[in-house]
Amino acid sequence: MPELRPILLVEDNPRDLELTLAALEKCQLANEIVIARDGAEAMDYLLGAGNHAGKDGGNPTVVLLDLKLPKIDGLEVLEKIKKDANLRHIPVVMLTSSREEQDLVRSYELGVNAFVVKPVEFNEFFKAIQDLGVFWAILNEPPPGSRPNAS
Amino acid sequence: MIFAKFSIRAEPSQYRSVHVNRPDLDSCAQEPIHVPGAIQPHGAMVVIRPSDMTVLQASANATEFLGRPIAIGETVDGVIDAHRNEILTWHGSEEPELQIQADNLSLGFHRAGDMIVAELETSPSDAADNVFLRLRGFAQQLAGQPDLPGALSTTVRVMEKLTGFDRVLAYRFDGEWNGHVVAEAGNGRLPSYMGLRFPAGDIPPQARALYALNHVRLIPDVNYQPVPLQPVINPQTGDTLDMSSAQLRSVSPIHLEYMRNMGTAASMSVSIMVDGRLWGLIACHSHEPHNVPVVTREACDFIVQTLAMRIAAQEHADEAAHSVALARIQGRLLGAMSVSQYWLDGLVSNVADLLAQVAASGAAIVAGGECHTVGATPTQDEIAQIIGWLADRPDTEVFATHALPLDMPAAKDFAATASGIIAIRISELHESWLIWFRPEVLRTVEWGGDPHKVVREQGRIHPRVSFERWSEQVRLHAAPWAEAEITAARDLRAAIVGIVLRKAEELAQLSSELQRSNKELEAFSYSVSHDLRAPFRHIVGFAQLLRERENVLDEKSKHYLQTISEAALSAGRLVDDLLNFSQLGRASIAHKTVDMNKLVAEVVRSVMINNEDRAIEWAIDTLPPAWGDATLLRQVWFNLIENAVKYSRPRAPARISVTGTTENDRTTYTVSDNGVGFDMAYVDKLFGVFQRLQRVEDFEGTGIGLALVRRIIERHSGIIRGEGEVDKGATFVFALPKEGKGKILA
Repeated sequence: MPELRPILLVEDNPRDLELTLAALEKCQLANEIVIARDGAEAMDYLLGAGNHAGKDGGNPTVVLLDLKLPKIDGLEVLEKIKKDANLRHIPVVMLTSSREEQDLVRSYELGVNAFVVKPVEFNEFFKAIQDLGVFWAILNEPPPGSRPNAS
Repeated sequence: MIFAKFSIRAEPSQYRSVHVNRPDLDSCAQEPIHVPGAIQPHGAMVVIRPSDMTVLQASANATEFLGRPIAIGETVDGVIDAHRNEILTWHGSEEPELQIQADNLSLGFHRAGDMIVAELETSPSDAADNVFLRLRGFAQQLAGQPDLPGALSTTVRVMEKLTGFDRVLAYRFDGEWNGHVVAEAGNGRLPSYMGLRFPAGDIPPQARALYALNHVRLIPDVNYQPVPLQPVINPQTGDTLDMSSAQLRSVSPIHLEYMRNMGTAASMSVSIMVDGRLWGLIACHSHEPHNVPVVTREACDFIVQTLAMRIAAQEHADEAAHSVALARIQGRLLGAMSVSQYWLDGLVSNVADLLAQVAASGAAIVAGGECHTVGATPTQDEIAQIIGWLADRPDTEVFATHALPLDMPAAKDFAATASGIIAIRISELHESWLIWFRPEVLRTVEWGGDPHKVVREQGRIHPRVSFERWSEQVRLHAAPWAEAEITAARDLRAAIVGIVLRKAEELAQLSSELQRSNKELEAFSYSVSHDLRAPFRHIVGFAQLLRERENVLDEKSKHYLQTISEAALSAGRLVDDLLNFSQLGRASIAHKTVDMNKLVAEVVRSVMINNEDRAIEWAIDTLPPAWGDATLLRQVWFNLIENAVKYSRPRAPARISVTGTTENDRTTYTVSDNGVGFDMAYVDKLFGVFQRLQRVEDFEGTGIGLALVRRIIERHSGIIRGEGEVDKGATFVFALPKEGKGKILA
């Protein structure tokens, strides 16, 4: 059994955050869920800088990334992750409120692993979050290079 | 050869081919009529060398008029010698002519080279008195005439009375020297020629040149015996005498034959010179021989010159008035154009002005690939031919002709309506043209005297025959365009180009404003899509979470929560639909061949997932493939079929049919149901955004579905329409253009 690595959830809206957490909770995942409230904080976590300086445990198993974020927005975070040699293998799932084509196109250009439009219907939303959690945290085998060092 | 009698110039060989008994009409133009070497017998001629007053030549009848023999080579004597000082004084002056009255003899003098030519005619002593009274009357009558026809008929009436001829005609030349009888006075002894037209060949160019020099010509007796000059060859020049300015000049035998064919024994014509140009003639004829004294002829010249001044004044005034009238018409056209959305509308809504601008009987406006015609025009295909021909010409901003078939042989086929055209090219880039048409002139001629009704008289050159030849000559010709009309067309073009440019600038301005506002709208809808959806998601989410805490809620609370959820959900869907709709305006369309059978099967399956309980009888034809964007067309089928299923909900079984047909330029599809239908009175609202024809509690929906469908179809350059009947059902028909075909208009 591979070591359970955390899920990084980047979400600025407290209500969306709460709903997303409620959905993930229902999956009863054992993974730790790390929350970042904006793009800058997310990068700090990933790079082990700022408040997260000295963090250990390696890279998260998946990043659930909201598109519209204060400071550094989702697309920029995505770009930084995919350009960073150490981070680029982390699966990133873009969560967004809208199905704007330009966002979708740009995300895939930047190498997003999945793009999910948050459905208005709660049951669908729950199901989507749960599926994501289960897929990326449990089912997906990350590429060998991205595995953290065993501690 | 008849000429041999009059002309002893032997060298020019072309004269020899002319046969007396069959005068060829073309020969008129070659005849050297100013050097006949003979005079008419109603007067006598003496040619004098002024240096010593020696007689060089004299007509054979000079003795008769002078009352004494005249000796060639001797000094003049008698009546001429009596006025020697007067004559020499005149000869040293600039005056072209000298007229002396001596008892019953009129003596006229003019120069031929450095010689003096004296012409002697008998003259009744009371002639002058009669003339003076007539002239005074004429001046008063002419002043009282308001217009040109009035002035002309006054003139011919006065001339008739003054000269005693049986018939006096006013004859006007057109730009190509064809003649037209425009006024007539007569005593009925000769037939009326009023309104008749004559080809240019009837009065050859050298005759017209003489008419300009020498205003009055008289032939008192058509059957006269010419009197030769003796000797025929002038000793000073070694040639026959130039009689260009002589009154007594013997005339062309062709002309005499023409007179005989006209049934006239005597004729006189007076040139109407306007602004130095031969405007026309006053032609007088008599059935019997008829002489007119010199003083009367001079009075006639005076009358006609007075008339000419009147004509000149009238023409200048008419031209000015014409220009002003055309400018006024143009003002109205421009006014209409400037308030029209499109310049063309301003023109076609003012048909009368459009045609009056250049006095045309038809016009065509070709722009944007369409051809609008008003009045009498060739067919659209023929107009296209004209434009094809015009487009190849080097400079076609304004092209005017009154004989199009001469320039463009194919135009013979539609000469009836388009012998004359003025074409102005509005834009080279977008091939837009305005063309005016004038019909062949034969169709517009007033047949003053129908030549076909008259019994044919003998003789090849005859006024009646002339009319037919004139008809030949003007075939494929239209009435010529006036300079003022061509100028008006040119001005109109400049104005239209100005308007078109201004509209284009406005359009460019508008389009940049539209682009900006579109950008703003995009930004707006982008932020709406993110920010407006979120709260609805939160409401639905938290309501759901709350509902799951069953133990803390009673049934009523749960119901309220359910209602909150549903309301938020439908608001969220509305936002989704609206965004969908607005995105459609921006998304590009990826055309390819689309298998409509596949799409419909897929859509029916997905619609039925939520309607498993429904009993529906489907009748789906094999559908032709369409040319379009599969994703968008799927949306069309989805909305139409979902509607059919939804609105047939009260029916058991519901019947829904889908059909498709293919035509030349399009494929057409229909979706019909037997549902609740709609009232055709509201058909216009069917495709509007937020327009619903059913109550929301009866049938759910946001009122965007059909608007979305229409937008998709329109973005495919197709059309859609709906038909319905309350409680009977509805049918939606949409048509899409095939690959490579243009927008479907109806």
